[in-house]
Amino acid sequence: MTNLGLVVDARGVTKWFGETTALDEVDFTVGPGVVHGLLGPNGAGKTTLLSALFGLVLPDEGTLRLFGRTRAQAGASWLDGVGGFVETPRFYPYLSGRRNLAVLAGLDGGDAAGLIDEAIERAGLSGAGRQKVRGYSLGMRQRLGLAAAMLRRPRLLILDEPANGMDPAGIRDLRGALRRLAHDGLTVILSSHDMAQVEEICDSVTVLHRGRVAFAGRLDAMRADAPDPVWRLRTSEDVAAVETSRRLAGVKASSHDDGGLVVFAAQDRLDDYVLHLGRDGIAVRGLELDVTPLESLFFQLTATTATTATTATATQEDR
Amino acid sequence: MTLAADGWPTFVEPVAAGRKGSGVLVVWRLELAKLSGQLQVRAIAAGCLAIPFLVVGGLNLQSSTPGDTPFGQWVHTSGFAIPMVILGFGGQWVLPVLTAVVAGDIFSAEDHFGTWKTILTRSRSRGELFGGKFLAAATFAVAAMIALTASDLVAGLLAGTQPVVGLTGQLVPAGHATGLVIASWASQLPPVLGFTALAVLLSVVSRSSVVGIGGPVLIALVLQVVTLVNLPVTAQLALLSTPFTAWHGFWAQPAFYGPFREGLVTCAGWFAACGVWSWLVFRRRTIGAA
Repeated sequence: MTNLGLVVDARGVTKWFGETTALDEVDFTVGPGVVHGLLGPNGAGKTTLLSALFGLVLPDEGTLRLFGRTRAQAGASWLDGVGGFVETPRFYPYLSGRRNLAVLAGLDGGDAAGLIDEAIERAGLSGAGRQKVRGYSLGMRQRLGLAAAMLRRPRLLILDEPANGMDPAGIRDLRGALRRLAHDGLTVILSSHDMAQVEEICDSVTVLHRGRVAFAGRLDAMRADAPDPVWRLRTSEDVAAVETSRRLAGVKASSHDDGGLVVFAAQDRLDDYVLHLGRDGIAVRGLELDVTPLESLFFQLTATTATTATTATATQEDR
Repeated sequence: MTLAADGWPTFVEPVAAGRKGSGVLVVWRLELAKLSGQLQVRAIAAGCLAIPFLVVGGLNLQSSTPGDTPFGQWVHTSGFAIPMVILGFGGQWVLPVLTAVVAGDIFSAEDHFGTWKTILTRSRSRGELFGGKFLAAATFAVAAMIALTASDLVAGLLAGTQPVVGLTGQLVPAGHATGLVIASWASQLPPVLGFTALAVLLSVVSRSSVVGIGGPVLIALVLQVVTLVNLPVTAQLALLSTPFTAWHGFWAQPAFYGPFREGLVTCAGWFAACGVWSWLVFRRRTIGAA
C-alpha cells in the first residue's frame, strides 16, 4: 500500500551482496518534517539502506518511493529535493572547498551556484573555502558535506553519521541546525550508532540489526518499552551498598570490574536507594548515568556485545 | 568554526528547474573544468606544445639522421620531414599514452577519491554523467592532437620550408606538404579515439587508474609487435594499431586512401564496442555500500 503523504516509503526492500544479505525485507517509512534516526551497530545495513535511497545501490526486491514516486516513475528527477551524503563526504582533493561546491552546484543547475558563499559561511568554513580539500580534517569535510547537501535546497536531508570527526561544539551546533531545519519543515534522516545523540534530536527511529528492522516507531514509544537505565556508583563501602540494594525493590547493584558499583534502577528507585545509603551511613562519592534507557533497549534489540550492554541486558532479564 | 543553526538555503522549488539543456553537456563542461585543475593534464598540454621544438633542437645538434624511420633521412633537408618523423617514431604508442592518461583515469579517479557517491547524489543521471565524462575524455584527445599537430607543424616550418621527398620518391612542394602533414596527423584521430574508448572501458571495469592508463599502453605495444607477425589480412585490419599507419598512403604517388577508409571502420567498431560495454557495466554498478 502506498502512502502518498510519506517522504520515504520503502517496502520489503532486500539487497544481497553475494552470499550476504545486507537488507532483508526492510520496511522504512518517514513522514514529513521530522528528524528520523536510523540506528544500528556496524554492519546492520544502515549505509546500504541510505545508499538505496540515493539510488547508489539498486534493491534486489521491494519498492522504494521518495515523495510518493518510485525511481522508475521519477526518472532523472528521482533525487530532486533530496540532499545529503552516505558515509564520509568525499570531494576532489586537488580542488578547494569552494571549487568542489562549484562543481556540485554546476551538476545541480538552477540557482545552486549563487548559494555557495552562504553555504560555506553557514557551515563555518569561511576561512577554509579557498583551501584545497586534501588539507581538510574529517570534521571540515563533514561540514563541507552539509554545505554541499544544502546547496540543493532539500526537502529531504539524508545524513550518514554526520557528527563523525566533529568537535563537541560542532556536534552541538549540528544538533541545533538539524532541529531548526526540521522545525522549518525539512525532513531529516540521520544515521548513527550513537543512541545518546539520536535521543537528543530525533522524533522517531528505525533500528536495524543484521539487515532487518528490529524496531520502528516514535522515540516516546521506544522509551515506554525501554528497560531501566544503568548507573555507575562509587561509595565509601561498596559491599555494604550492595547489601542495601537487596532490601529495595527495583534496584539491583553489583560490583563493576573497573571498581565501584553498577546499578540498574529507574530514576525514582535510584533516589530511594541513595537515601537508604545515607541512612545506612554509606557515603556516595560519585554517581553517573552509564547507559540510558534507550541505549539499554538499543543494546537489547541489537544484542551488542559490549561488556556494559551485555551485563545490562543479562541483569535486566534476571530481574 | 561555528556551524550555524539557521539561515541555511531552504526549499523553494525542486532543482529540476536547473535541468535545462543537455545534462551531458553540463557534465562535460564540469569535467573539463576539473581536468584543467589536474597537474598531469597541464603537464601533457605543456609537453604537446614543447616537445616538437625540443626534437627540432635535438636534431640540429646531431649530424646523423634517424634513417630507419619514414622521412628520417630528410630531417636536415626539409622541415616537413620533422613532424612526420615524430609521427612515425611515436605515433603507435605515444598517442595511446597521451589519451589514456585522461581517459583511463576519468572514471576510476572517482573510485579512487570515493566521489561517485558525491556526484551521483546530485541532479544528474548515470547516463548524463557517463556521456559527459566520455565526451570530456574524447575532447581532451582531440585537443591534444590539435595541439600536437599545430606545434609539430610550426616546429617543422621553423626548421625549413623546402620541398620534401615523398614515400615513393616524388618531390612534394611546400604547400602540398603542409596539407599532407595536417592530414597525416588528422588520420591519427580515429585510432586515438579508439584507444580513448578502450581506456574508458578499462577504467570503468577495473575501477583502477593503473589499469585504465597502463592497459591501453601495454595493448598498444603488444599490437605493435603483433603487426610485425604475418597475420591474415582480416585480422590485420581488425587491429586498433593498424590505422595508425594509414597516412603512408597519403605520401605515395599516386596516393591511396583504402587503408584510411578501412581504418575508419575498424576504429568506429572499437569505439562503439568499448563505449557500449563501458555503459553496460557502469549503468548497474553498485556504488560504495558493497
